[in-house]
Amino acid sequence: MATIEVKNLSKVYGSGETKVTALDSVNVTIEQGQFVAVMGPSGCGKSTLLHLIGGLDRPTDGSVFIEGSDISKMSDKTLTELRRRKMGFIFQFFNLIPVLDAIENTALPLILDGVKPELARTKASEWLSRNKLDGRGKHRPDELSGGQQQRVAISRAMVSDPVIILADEPTGNLDSRSGDEIASTLRKIVTDWKRTVLMVTHDPRIAAYADRIIFLKDGKVVDDTLLNGSNGENAKRLKEKVESL
Amino acid sequence: MSVRHSLLGLLAQKPRYGYELCAGFTALVGGKENWDVKPAQIYTTLARMVESGLVIFNNLNGQQSKGEYTITPKGHYELMDWFRSSDIEEPHQDPFYLKLMLSLELDEVDASRLIVIQRAALYQELHRITEQRQALDPHNQLAQMMLMDKSAMHLEADLRWLDMIESRLDEVQRQPSPKPAMRPRGRPPSQSA
Amino acid sequence: MRIQILLAWRYLWGRKQRMVLTTLAVVFGVTLLFGLNAMIPAMMESFRHNMVTTAGKVDISISSESNNPFEESVLKDLSEIEDISFYTGILTKNVVLPESLGGTVNKLTGSSAVTVTGVDVATAQNVRNYSLIEGRFLEPNDTNATVIPQLLADKMELKVGDIFTIPSSEGVSDLKVVGILSLSASAGLDEIFVPLPDAQTILNLPQKINTIDILIKSGADRDVVVSSVLSKLGPNFKSGAIQTGEELASALTMGQSMMWLFGVMALAMAGFIIFNTFRTVVAERRRDLGMLRAIGASKQTIMGLIMVESLLQGIIGTGLGLICGYLFSYLLVSAVGNIFAGMLRVTIGAPVITTVNLIGSILLGVGFTVGSGYFPARSAMKVTPLEAMRPTLGSIEYRQNNRRAIWGLGLLTLSVVGLLLGNVSIAGLSGVVFLVGIILIAPVMVKPVADIFGKLISSIYSREGKLAQGNLTRQPSRAAITASSMMIGLAICIAMMAMITSIEHGFTTYLDKSLGTDYLLMPPSLVLGSGNLGVNQGFIEKIKSIDGVEEATSLRLATSQVDGTTLQLIGIDPLVYPKIAGLEFSEGDSVEAYKAMEQGSAIIVNGIFAVTNNVKTGDVLSLKSPQGERKYTVVGIGFDYLNAKISTGYVSQSDLAKDFNSESDLLLLVNRKPDATAEEVTPALQTVIKEFPTFSLIDSNEFKTEQMGMFKMAMSVFYIMVIMLAVPGLIAMANTMSINVIERTREIGMLRAVGATQTQVKRMVFAESVLLSALGTTMGILVGLFLSYLLVKAIGVIGFRTDFFFPTSGIIASIVVGLVFGIIAAMVPARQAANTVIVEALQYE
Repeated sequence: MATIEVKNLSKVYGSGETKVTALDSVNVTIEQGQFVAVMGPSGCGKSTLLHLIGGLDRPTDGSVFIEGSDISKMSDKTLTELRRRKMGFIFQFFNLIPVLDAIENTALPLILDGVKPELARTKASEWLSRNKLDGRGKHRPDELSGGQQQRVAISRAMVSDPVIILADEPTGNLDSRSGDEIASTLRKIVTDWKRTVLMVTHDPRIAAYADRIIFLKDGKVVDDTLLNGSNGENAKRLKEKVESL
Repeated sequence: MSVRHSLLGLLAQKPRYGYELCAGFTALVGGKENWDVKPAQIYTTLARMVESGLVIFNNLNGQQSKGEYTITPKGHYELMDWFRSSDIEEPHQDPFYLKLMLSLELDEVDASRLIVIQRAALYQELHRITEQRQALDPHNQLAQMMLMDKSAMHLEADLRWLDMIESRLDEVQRQPSPKPAMRPRGRPPSQSA
Repeated sequence: MRIQILLAWRYLWGRKQRMVLTTLAVVFGVTLLFGLNAMIPAMMESFRHNMVTTAGKVDISISSESNNPFEESVLKDLSEIEDISFYTGILTKNVVLPESLGGTVNKLTGSSAVTVTGVDVATAQNVRNYSLIEGRFLEPNDTNATVIPQLLADKMELKVGDIFTIPSSEGVSDLKVVGILSLSASAGLDEIFVPLPDAQTILNLPQKINTIDILIKSGADRDVVVSSVLSKLGPNFKSGAIQTGEELASALTMGQSMMWLFGVMALAMAGFIIFNTFRTVVAERRRDLGMLRAIGASKQTIMGLIMVESLLQGIIGTGLGLICGYLFSYLLVSAVGNIFAGMLRVTIGAPVITTVNLIGSILLGVGFTVGSGYFPARSAMKVTPLEAMRPTLGSIEYRQNNRRAIWGLGLLTLSVVGLLLGNVSIAGLSGVVFLVGIILIAPVMVKPVADIFGKLISSIYSREGKLAQGNLTRQPSRAAITASSMMIGLAICIAMMAMITSIEHGFTTYLDKSLGTDYLLMPPSLVLGSGNLGVNQGFIEKIKSIDGVEEATSLRLATSQVDGTTLQLIGIDPLVYPKIAGLEFSEGDSVEAYKAMEQGSAIIVNGIFAVTNNVKTGDVLSLKSPQGERKYTVVGIGFDYLNAKISTGYVSQSDLAKDFNSESDLLLLVNRKPDATAEEVTPALQTVIKEFPTFSLIDSNEFKTEQMGMFKMAMSVFYIMVIMLAVPGLIAMANTMSINVIERTREIGMLRAVGATQTQVKRMVFAESVLLSALGTTMGILVGLFLSYLLVKAIGVIGFRTDFFFPTSGIIASIVVGLVFGIIAAMVPARQAANTVIVEALQYE
């Protein structure tokens, strides 16, 4: 059973003359422990795909299966619970609550799930130190650099032991060095913690950290490249591509 | 030409044996995987430099194969001259460009597929470089990391260039393809290598 | 819940200034609500304390249902009842000691009073224990003797054998002190005991008593005895001591409901401010809310977050409001208390916290705050997780402005029609409809008003004025909401001012009409109720016999009950009274009414009673009297000045004597002959009055001036309330302005970055604030006029009919106040905006 399975997924915004097809019958299967980057020119539908997989938006047509269950048919309540327990979100603008400190921000999903505050704090601190933020727990977001804020956000995404991490342009608001840090943190989440990461980015250098790149154009998948195979395997795939010419 | 000057540079520090120079060069570029220079090539280069009087070979114990190389003042002058020059790579001789231009002319090849394949390959390379770079320790291998960065950035530039081509491929196709200027008479223009 | 509390608390803490401002609004509301309502019970409490006769150590006290005196002969019926060991009849009443008789005199609190209790000397000591420290108790053949408590003896410097003079229906009574009692347990007034016949003479109630004290046999069941006594005596009696001054208590209850209304209005304003704040809060936090939704917060959690935040503010605000309210009430009691003390002859103690007031204030304070948070919370609930992903939040401008305006216009028309229909409840409803209509139409009004006032501002600051004007017209809904909060404040002020002006005018008219006579012979207390001692017929005859007096008429008093409502009955002479004074009729024909009164069993009721008991001309009322229920036909609705505030009925004096055993004259109205001069008549009157020190001679003109002064003083309380209501308006403006500035930090930063000077930014915010207040003032004047018209009409309905006076001064004041508020409210935000650090502003998300 694939972690994420997307079948004939379509999303249409508006109607009539203002109708925009953001996704057009997309099929994608993502296995557990894969680090997938979604790339493509702006307006290609990459964010829409992420939103639909994350259950933040409803598809016009088709289905999204998370660990075998179809989320497009779930009620808002079930979906909310699924997001809380199985998914972690990382946003371009970090989206930390400005009035909470790093530990509290990190612990949010656990508190939302009714975990005891002490346990939530302990877990949050653990994740912060894993993400090299020891001693920053009491800092509020405005006292942290962009890269640090994003690492708090990653800690927050990881704290509830989710199956899937969804990241929307996680480095879009960072300089290239902090961007590299964030990308390698995500890499570690996949390598060390065997999580599935789906990341939307337009930065090739960040995408290169992934195991697989899905290219979207005009709402369709135009290419799907595995990056991490052995040289021989890669060469074989490349050869197949060449032959399909 | 850089191998030659690197060897001169290493010798400017102190006289060295041949195998010492082989190891020194590999260390300089951060490993065989970055720049795999065979010892034979090193020795050939050294022999040429001895011929040109840039270095001197001192036999040891009369053995022909074993001995120390020392830089000459001429060699030192040549090295300094190299330092004074700047290094600009020749970016226009791009094999993929040729492939792409030709594919636009030939009906049997799809230019956009070409881009897809090239991109996949570039990404695989970038991924490999990124992994390598990740494996380095920033506390004592920073120089090598910088070299990786250079490669990564070049690959990134190539990828961006591909994106740009892809987005404007239609426009390129609509324009008349570059044709050689037909000259009725005279020799073809000389070409420099 | 934990997460909501954590987040709510932190968010509040993170924006202290705003929290303080919005919470302050709640504090104000609760302060008014709680404070005003703590004052009334304080008065009630001391009133009860002072006036209600304490029953002493008796098993059962029986009095008449209507609190009126009844025939002594009733006592005989009790002898047949078993289980009663002793009973005795008592006649008790409070009597005011005028200055001339040694009463303490104070301009404001007036003279002191004593309770005169006539006891049946033979049986009294069987029922109650009188412990003497000096002298003896009354003996059967005593006349003009008294036993007084030690405290009074000390106060008046009286010893056994001394003469204690008190006012009496025959003028004065000289009582010889025969004993001094140790008991001072009865709180309130000092109680002096006299033989029953003496009391009946003093109070002009021959053969009457008003309380029966009963001692039951040991082992008997009290409840059984009470019920057998009551069944013996009939339905006109009740168990329990006589309760004097119920009519005043009902007036205070009226006052209390007014106070509640005030507090609720203040709270409604606070609610508006809270609503406005939370609306902005939700808009500001869309990203945070979206993120919370994305990471798994349910809709309910989000809604709960905003609700908890408002709950916290509600609790804090209410808590502080309760404390401030108590202090406020304390101040009020000590400031205004004196006026009331003077009028009602009671001293007012510390504010009293009643459970109803406490719980009511808490419920209303917290309820309004949470209620105002509800709609913003609902809109917060609807924030989708996708909002978290949006890089910038565009403010949402409602497109349905025009449609709303049409609705608003419809409602306005409806409300005007409702007002013209003349029905009170419909008119009241139309007031609410009008308010809603104005709020709906407000966004459309923004542009024209901003255009007009914008031109004015542009003539001073050309560039900044334009910018400010643009800012407002770009977001008419937001501007309208801000202006609305100001509008409500000003509207209430204008309405109040208009009401005061109108009442003041009406008051003068009534005073002239009610006190149309040349002289008033007034009892010590203005309110006719308890404490005033009537005089017998002889007094008015003496007055009439004076040369130069053309006509004199009296007012008499009794109390009755109709369907559980206490009704003060005024006895008038239907022949003479209309000639020299006259009631102000709002229903029924005066000539017919007086004629009907002559026939008997006819009553004229005043507006308050008519409204509260839904009585119309022609209705038949069943009045409780000591003789049982009596049927009276309502022949008109009208009132005189003195009794406008209390439920009152006017009956003929012969009816009053027949049914209610009241034959004492309480107040006399005297007219001079046209050819007689004041120089002749006044000394003659003064001579007669010397024998009746209860009365003071008052020249009506002087009295009117005095009353107007009193009235103005009382109205000053209203002015204080106007200010109290206006202050939250200022807070609302300041609050919205600073929220405006916070919302636009980025924009202001940009303006600074492209070269706007600090002064220019400051001016822009200022101009905007002035424009907003202009809008608020315009709307406030419209609504205020409507409301004031409504209020004046409403007062007319409860009997205080008056013409509507256009509140010109109120409107001018409102314009000034509005503009001043606008400027004051803009001060802090303007400075804040001007000091915006450009770089930080541009980073502001």
